[in-house]
Amino acid sequence: MTPELHTRAEHLIAQARVEGISAGEQEWLRGHLAQCAACAASAGWTEEAIRALRGLSVPLPPTLASRTQMRVRLRAQQLESYEPRWRMVWAACLVSWAFGAASAPYVWHGLEWLGHRMNLPNLVWQIGFGLWWALPAVVTAVILLLTQSGPVREEEL
Amino acid sequence: MAFANPTGRVSGLLFSTLMANETKALAKGLRRRDAELLDRLIEQYQYRLFRYLVYITGNQERAQDFFQETWIRVLERGHQYDGKSKFEPWLFSIARHLVIDWQRSKKTQSLDALTNPEDGAPMEFAVDDPSPLHLVLSRESYTSVQASLEQLPAASREVLLLRFQEEMGLAEIASVLGAPISTVKSRLYRALNDLRGLLSGEAI
Repeated sequence: MTPELHTRAEHLIAQARVEGISAGEQEWLRGHLAQCAACAASAGWTEEAIRALRGLSVPLPPTLASRTQMRVRLRAQQLESYEPRWRMVWAACLVSWAFGAASAPYVWHGLEWLGHRMNLPNLVWQIGFGLWWALPAVVTAVILLLTQSGPVREEEL
Repeated sequence: MAFANPTGRVSGLLFSTLMANETKALAKGLRRRDAELLDRLIEQYQYRLFRYLVYITGNQERAQDFFQETWIRVLERGHQYDGKSKFEPWLFSIARHLVIDWQRSKKTQSLDALTNPEDGAPMEFAVDDPSPLHLVLSRESYTSVQASLEQLPAASREVLLLRFQEEMGLAEIASVLGAPISTVKSRLYRALNDLRGLLSGEAI
């Protein structure tokens, strides 16, 4: 028997357990194992390894589930208490955005008029408009930063 | 026609439909942060999740901490489970990421070493304990396979557990590991070969 045949047998023994082999390969392997004691022993060790692996057990700490359930419930309550606060923040942002969008043309013209009256360069009153538009986002970001440094984290949004 | 062939195909279809309904209901419950559902899931998966964590951390106390943190994370990120795939791989991948994050914070080895043990640096979480796994596995089950498992890298123990104890398919293991199926296969072949070698007295 050539070494290639043994290598193929070794590979098929593992492949059968990892991803499965075809009926033809099973047939060939059976035939080879019947003739080769070394490969048959290897197949035996593989079977033994998997059988023993399946037989291993890990002792479960008796109170683990109840302790975890309690912690999860406490955390759920905590998250629930934050929800109204966040709903208010988002609602305020939405109203602010809608109001900002509706009033943008008037604010633009107002700032333009003011800029011309005060002889300011265009860039100055345009930056002013940008800041006015970005104000709700800046306020929200500040709130988020403040709360993230406290007990509320990103996941709680 | 369903009545003409009421065998594997029909029952398989029925089973997968039931599974899909179950995972969708699960996803819905997790989005609602349903406390009853979470209690049930913790009970249902306690042994399997704990065993997985013991295998990858090699330490019972640490496994208990990660067990609790995993369920907290399930509560917080429940909305990310889409219900299209099985729950177990999602749950296990959360646990795995927690362990990897912790390992990263300990800076005992790089993340690459954790995720690519084939590259020569095997995943080994329990660096501060000389041989903790034998303290964790039940005394009566102490066999040569346990002694052999202690000598395997955690990444090998992990794939062996997922394949032969959890009976997960290759795609599911890939989803837990966040690795391609080809990587899972090569890791499994290597782990099985190493375990077989250790059991038969060869050096790995």
